[in-house]
Amino acid sequence: MSDLLNFVENELQLIALGFMGLVYILRIRWILRYKAGRDRQAPTGSSNTTSAKGAIYSLFNIAMPWAMESTRQKFFFYLQFVFFHLAVAANILMSFLIPYAPSLIKPPFIFRSLQVLFAIGCIISCYRLYRRLYDRVINLISTPDDFFSLFLLTIWLFVSIWAAPNHPDQGEGPLLAYFVLTAFFLMYVPFSKISHYLYYPFTRFYFGRTMGHRGVYPLKHSPQPKPTKN
Amino acid sequence: MTEKKRSYKVERVLERMKKKLNRQMVASLVACVHCGMCTEACHYVLANPDDPTYAPAYKADQIRRLFKRNFDWTGRVFPWWVHAGNLYTDEELEKLKDIVFGKCTNCRRCSVNCPMGVDYATFNRMMRGCLVSVGIMPEGVAVVSKDQWEIGNQMGVLKEDYLETLDWMSEELVNEVEDPAARIPIDKMDADVVYAINPREVKYDPRTIADAAKIFYCARENWTMPSEEWDMTNFGLFSGDDDLGGGVARRLYEKVIELRGKKLVVSECGHGYRSTRCEGPNWAGMDIPFEMESSVITMLRYLKEGRIKVDKTKNTIPVTFHDSCNNARSCGLFEEPRELLNLVATDFREMYPNRAENYCCTGGGGAMSMSEYTPLRLKSGKIKAEQLKATGAKIVVTSCHNCVDGLTDLIRHYKLGMEVKQLVNLVATAIVVEKKVAVPVEKPLEALAQRSSSGSAAMPIKS
Repeated sequence: MSDLLNFVENELQLIALGFMGLVYILRIRWILRYKAGRDRQAPTGSSNTTSAKGAIYSLFNIAMPWAMESTRQKFFFYLQFVFFHLAVAANILMSFLIPYAPSLIKPPFIFRSLQVLFAIGCIISCYRLYRRLYDRVINLISTPDDFFSLFLLTIWLFVSIWAAPNHPDQGEGPLLAYFVLTAFFLMYVPFSKISHYLYYPFTRFYFGRTMGHRGVYPLKHSPQPKPTKN
Repeated sequence: MTEKKRSYKVERVLERMKKKLNRQMVASLVACVHCGMCTEACHYVLANPDDPTYAPAYKADQIRRLFKRNFDWTGRVFPWWVHAGNLYTDEELEKLKDIVFGKCTNCRRCSVNCPMGVDYATFNRMMRGCLVSVGIMPEGVAVVSKDQWEIGNQMGVLKEDYLETLDWMSEELVNEVEDPAARIPIDKMDADVVYAINPREVKYDPRTIADAAKIFYCARENWTMPSEEWDMTNFGLFSGDDDLGGGVARRLYEKVIELRGKKLVVSECGHGYRSTRCEGPNWAGMDIPFEMESSVITMLRYLKEGRIKVDKTKNTIPVTFHDSCNNARSCGLFEEPRELLNLVATDFREMYPNRAENYCCTGGGGAMSMSEYTPLRLKSGKIKAEQLKATGAKIVVTSCHNCVDGLTDLIRHYKLGMEVKQLVNLVATAIVVEKKVAVPVEKPLEALAQRSSSGSAAMPIKS
């Protein structure tokens, strides 16, 4: 392994991670500076729920595609969301495994599975780019950051397909590209929409807490009634 | 290049926004990933499929861009990268007004459908409040808010008219139940129930007052209605003006405390219930020392406790139920009305979707008072009209006065041939009046005259 690859796999990643962590700490401090609203009123709605139940339900809402009409009706989109995020999560994990526990992804079954997952993620990412370009609503609301973040992820997932086998002896290009992109990704993320996962606990917790207090969450579904004779 | 100068009003709006932002709103403002999952949750979008500017994410972005440009670092440094932007002129504020008041009823349907938990309705209301603070609002909002500040109720009903209406309804009740003692008690101290209503009932629908009185009479309730501060609606919910919201809520709470009432029961009104029961204590900064409930829950309780008896065969026409967004999506009041409806009507047909997933009647968020947006409101009501039609019902029951008006408009516009009623009407129709000897109650106007001579005064709003 060359010194350059050694540097981008280790020191560069740690620098980028440290930078990301620092910006995230500042970001969380910024959000916490705003006062959280409270619910003074006595609870309403179903007595079977509480603020805590509502908050928990809300936080795990994303893992319950049946919970929201939007995910129920767009189940294919939900599946894309799941695979896309699994691919990204696996890719982040791989950026740690290659330098620190390479043996874990050495078995062909493992790295081939990762490659398949990254390929699926990459295809979904391409579809999402297409959607951002050609769906009128999505195009209207998309910012340059939305496009760039998605483009960056698409490239990153694509490169990771070639980096997954982790064979620097067969050429360091894929690994160098992968780790340089990872480092850039880590530094860019805190300023982009990709950091939405940082805000997710805040939005979900507070919304769920309120909706639980008011007896709305967990949401009661409204099954379609059978057609009447009239 | 010189920087464009912001108008006085824009500066004030931004100052107000800074004060009003809380953690929930900030999180919602930064968390949107522009996935578009909220799009089809909005009835405006569904009724206007060719216009992408109705998408909740787009509408939210018109507020978000201002937030990003002024409060968020990425937007401050690279505004074009995240579509951050400023407003400079009053005309731009007017355009924003048309979005926050005219293209959204704050129904919160997009909020419950957002995978990220972005609560657009909350910060849309915040922006309404910012605009109202500089006098930018639909004319109707200004008029209604003024009435509520100055006269004490949102329809400018004078005290004399209110009391005369109660007197008239008392006479109706006396005739109906054939009991001279069956009158509406006014300002009775230590009552178990203090009943507060929507001024629309006095002005356009006094029958609901008589119906409620009949139910209280049959339940032998120790109840009263306040002679003043009787309006349980609160336009602060719609205008986003927390000062108005707090002032109006405080007035009512203090009246109940003054009467030493044990429970405040609010008549069927979505925004009234939400603002009095759920938001009022927060706006007023008060911890409330008495219980509060919707009259829907009160009526259901009377039935369950056997305090009233009903004959459901008196309501045989097919009915469906429309959930008010404020009741269902913001206060969790959706099972009780159904339970009650099933007890007083023989043919209840569920609407789909319903409960917290129901579509807005399109009269929510104060839309009924914003006549400049009426054509748009009626067009977007197509979704609700289709829902109503699909039930095959002849009567749509709702627990909200705004919804009554909104649905009535839609039924007329889409020629649905339906009637809108409230649960109180159905319960009063089905109730079995048992002959009894009631405790004599003074006539309202006489009682008031006696109190006036003993020095009882109106309660001012405390700021």
